[in-house]
Amino acid sequence: MLFRQAGILHTNYAQDRALFPIPADRWMIGGLLLLAATAPLYLNSLYLSSYLLPWLVWTAAALGLNLILGWAGQFHLGYAAVMGIGAYAAVHAQRAGVPWEIAIVLAGLTAAVIGSVFAFAALRVKGLYLALSTLALQFVMDWTISHVPAISGGTQATLQAPDIRLLGQAVTSDAGLYYVALVWCVLVTTFMLNLRRTALGRALVAVREKDYAAAVIGVNSFYFKLVAFATSSFIAGVSGAVLIGTFYHAVTPEQFSVDVSIQALAMVIVGGLGSIIGSYFGAGFILLMPGAMNSFISWLTGLFGFSLGIETLAHLPHALYGALIIGFLLLEPLGLGKIYGNVRDYLLVWPFGYVKK
Amino acid sequence: MTDGDDKSGGARNRAGPVLECQSVERRFGGIVALNGIDLQIQRGEIFGLVGPNGCGKTTLTNAITGFYPPQRGNILLNGHDITGLAPHKVARLGVARTFQNLALFNGMSVLDNILLGRHVHMHASVLRTAGYWWLAQGDETKNRAAVEDVIDFLQLESVRTELVDGIPIGLKKRVELARALAAEPSLLILDEPMAGMNQEEKEYMARFILDARDERNVTVLLIEHHMDVITGICDRMLALNYGAMIGSGIPAEVVADPRVVEAYIGGAHAAH
Repeated sequence: MLFRQAGILHTNYAQDRALFPIPADRWMIGGLLLLAATAPLYLNSLYLSSYLLPWLVWTAAALGLNLILGWAGQFHLGYAAVMGIGAYAAVHAQRAGVPWEIAIVLAGLTAAVIGSVFAFAALRVKGLYLALSTLALQFVMDWTISHVPAISGGTQATLQAPDIRLLGQAVTSDAGLYYVALVWCVLVTTFMLNLRRTALGRALVAVREKDYAAAVIGVNSFYFKLVAFATSSFIAGVSGAVLIGTFYHAVTPEQFSVDVSIQALAMVIVGGLGSIIGSYFGAGFILLMPGAMNSFISWLTGLFGFSLGIETLAHLPHALYGALIIGFLLLEPLGLGKIYGNVRDYLLVWPFGYVKK
Repeated sequence: MTDGDDKSGGARNRAGPVLECQSVERRFGGIVALNGIDLQIQRGEIFGLVGPNGCGKTTLTNAITGFYPPQRGNILLNGHDITGLAPHKVARLGVARTFQNLALFNGMSVLDNILLGRHVHMHASVLRTAGYWWLAQGDETKNRAAVEDVIDFLQLESVRTELVDGIPIGLKKRVELARALAAEPSLLILDEPMAGMNQEEKEYMARFILDARDERNVTVLLIEHHMDVITGICDRMLALNYGAMIGSGIPAEVVADPRVVEAYIGGAHAAH
C-alpha cells in the first residue's frame, strides 16, 4: 500500500547494496532531509532550539551507544561520562584558542583514547561484569572532573563555552546552531547506515552473536570490541562537544552524570537495539515525552475542569511515561524501531496480508 | 592443489600434507582426551574421523583450530607450525570449520552470514566504513561476487535474503558449509555435517562435499557417525577411542578392524 516493491530489479551489486535500494525510500529520505533543511523557515525558535536541536544531537549520541550495545553487544553504563570527556576537551581546547572545527575532532579523539584505554582493561570481563566496570568509568570520570579544578574550573563550577566559530564566522543564530546539529546527526547516521553494509558492521554482529563462531571465521573478538568502544567513544565525545556548543553553551559535571548515562541507555533500548531509525524514535521519546506528558495532563485537567494537587501533577507524568516505556517494550522487545518496521511491513502488502511470510 | 582430474585425491602430494598432527596430546585435569594422535591429511583428500561419543573427535578439531591448544605435540598446517595459535589466526591461515550444533549468526540474513565467511579476505575498518563510496565499495562488491559463486554452488539462491533463524535445519547446515567454503580454506573441517538429516539430505550433503573437493580444491577433514558416508566418500580415515588411535587407513579396511567394531558396537557383538 505504501509503495510496491514489485518490478524493482537490480542488475548489479552496487545497486543492490545501495543505502536505499527502493526508489520510494529514496524519495522519503529526500523529503525528510528537505523538511529538516528548511525547518528554520517554518518552526519558531522555541521548537527549533529547544526540541529539534537536542533531539538531533541526542540521536547522534544514541547512535554511538547503539554501535556498542546494539551492534557489538557490549554493555556500556558510562556513556555520558565519555560524552563529558569530549565536552570538557572541546571547551578547554576552544578556550586555549583552538578553532572549533579542530576542537570537536580533538574532543572525539580524547574521548576515543580514554574510552579505549579503559575498554582495554574492562573488556577482559563480559556481560554484567563489563556493565559494572563501565559504571566504574562513569564514577571515576565524575570524580576526576569535579575534583580536578583544572578540568572543571573549581568545585560546583560552570565553565562557560566560547561561541562556536566555523571558518572564523561566529555561529550564534538559532538556525546556525540547528544546522551544526543537523550536519553532525546526518554524518553519524550515514556512518551507521554504511556500518550496516560493510565488513566492520558484520564483524561486530558476529562478535555479538557468538564469539567462538566469530573466531572460527577469523574475527578477532577482542580487537573488534576495542574498535567498537573507540568508535562509539569518538561519536560520544563529538556529540558531547556539539551538545555543549549548540545547546547548553556552558559545561558542568551534572550534565554528564550517571542519570544521563541511564537516559542514553533508555533511548537505545526503547528505540531498538541495532536499529538506526529506532535511535531517532528512542531519543525523541525519552527527551520529548516527559514534556509532552506534562502538557497533555494539564490539557486534560483543563478540559474536564478538575484540579490535581501539586504532588500528583509533578509525579503523574513520570508514572505514565514509565508505564509507556514498559508498554512499548512488552508489545515489542526490539523497541520502537521494530514497531515501525512491523507497521511498514504490514502496510507494504496491505490489503493482501496473506502475502506476508 | 589438485586439478580435479585425480578423483582418488589422496595419492598426490605436491607440497606435502595440508595438515599434520605429531603425537598431539590434550588433557583436561586427569582425563586424557587426546593421547598421542599422529595423522597426515594429504592435499585434496577427504579424511574421515570416527569414534564413539566422547572419544576425542571434537577435541582434536578444537586442538587444530586453536580452541584447546594441545599440551604436547605439534600441529602443522601446510608445513607451518600452528600449535597454540589463537583461533582467529588459525582461520586466517586457511582453516575453516563447521560446528556439530550450528554456529550461525542469528539476526542476520543468509547472505550476510556467508559474507562473514569472507572476513579473512576483506578489510574491515572504521575509515573504510566512513568513506564507503571511495574505500569499501570495490572490496564489498568483489567479495559479494565470490559469495554469489558459493550460493550458486550450494543452491542457496532461494533463501539468500532470509533471516538465518527462520530456515530449516538442513538448509542451516548448508549455509554453514557455504560460510566455511566462502573463506576459500585450504583445510575444511566438518563436524558431523549430516547429524539429524534424512537420507536425501545426507546424499545431497555428501555430493556437496565431493564437489567442494573436486571443484573448489579444498581438503576435507570429516567427522561423521554415519559409516556409509565415511566408506562412501572418504579416501582415508582414522578411528579414535578414549583419545587414542585404534585404526587408520582405507575406510573399508578400518571399519572391518575388530578393534573398531568393538569400540563402536561393543565386545559381545564383536566376538561372533
